Amino acid sequence: MLRFFNRVTALILALMVATAAGAQDRPKVVTVNYPLQYFTERLVGDAADVVFPVPTDVDPSFWRPSISDISDVQSADLILLNGAEFATWIDRVSLPRSRVFNSSAAIEDQFIVTESITHSHGDGGEHSHEGLASYVWLDPVLATAQAEAIAAAITTRDIAPVGEVEDRLEQLRTDIAALDQTAADVFADLEAVPMIATHPRYQYLARRYGLTIASMDWEAGEAPNPDQLAELSALQNQLGAEILIWEAAPPAAALEAVEQLGLQNVIFPTLAHEPTEGTFVEAYQKALSDVSDASQSLQN
Amino acid sequence: MDGPVIRAVGLTALLAVAPVAAAAHQLVVFASVDCQAVTVEAKFSNGKPAQQGEVRVLDGENALQTTLQLSSDGTALVPLASVDYATGLVIEVDTGGHDNYWIVTPEDIARKCGR
Repeated sequence: MLRFFNRVTALILALMVATAAGAQDRPKVVTVNYPLQYFTERLVGDAADVVFPVPTDVDPSFWRPSISDISDVQSADLILLNGAEFATWIDRVSLPRSRVFNSSAAIEDQFIVTESITHSHGDGGEHSHEGLASYVWLDPVLATAQAEAIAAAITTRDIAPVGEVEDRLEQLRTDIAALDQTAADVFADLEAVPMIATHPRYQYLARRYGLTIASMDWEAGEAPNPDQLAELSALQNQLGAEILIWEAAPPAAALEAVEQLGLQNVIFPTLAHEPTEGTFVEAYQKALSDVSDASQSLQN
Repeated sequence: MDGPVIRAVGLTALLAVAPVAAAAHQLVVFASVDCQAVTVEAKFSNGKPAQQGEVRVLDGENALQTTLQLSSDGTALVPLASVDYATGLVIEVDTGGHDNYWIVTPEDIARKCGR
């Protein structure tokens, strides 16, 4: 009996060691946002650890990492960037060039330039500045392009077997294509309906589906103050807007206040962070369902 | 289709003022290590060097190691002997209106020192 227990114990220990060794041996991929993490996890399966290191309460566009965070990033086998000026921290650290990959390099010609502000400052005279809209993945076609680029980066570096990655990419393409079709159907009725977003995050979504989306500059998930509500009301009147898009659910009172202005509320997470429920595709589908409900309400 | 697309692009551009304003006049900070010292360079996004500003050097525990001033060419030199760099260094530059940072990890320093 004792011999039996010894054998079982030895077997369990061996399995634990093998599991630990396997986990340590797996390549590490770091991403700068959740969509890239999601695409990569779908593509690599169990072949790699995929890490998106930004805390859930921090906007990944403006995350300020610690030194140890960057040490971890520097140790990754692959560092996936979003491009389009997303994640300011990447320009404030040294990253190993050979292991850095920009997932949107092939679609740079489709970036949206955000212009413009003209003003005076110091001795520079009057001038203006340009920036880029960063939330590329909200256009499913561009999201697919990012996923395809990631698949190539993974296989080039032997992080996962080519055949498996290709199969998973095909499944991912199919899922995102279905998302695109649903979005096209949902937004088809809204091309003539001006909308307002609580934050300027939806440029690529708007372009893809021919939408008119103006923007406020509110904090995600927070209730607007009276001045902000007044600004919203003024913009609503100016544009004839009928829908307000929130990037995160605000307190119920805020939703009521907006309803009283005559706007339909829609929660459409930007997905820069992992959604509280569901995956990238599921959360996007849920947002489209909410848009569809709002659209129905407008027609009734 | 052209109408809505043009309208969407136009409005997107018009209404994206807030994030651009936040990013305008950015101070760009860069730090390089050569095993003896950290060389800090600070310039504005238009390419002009920051001619004055405070450089704060913090360690991995966020403890202030030293403070110095930018030279008129927008640079500052932090001798490694003058700081405890075992946990890495965060270089913060504040020109009094604009600020930014650069992170130097222990691995960055070790690489430059042949370790």
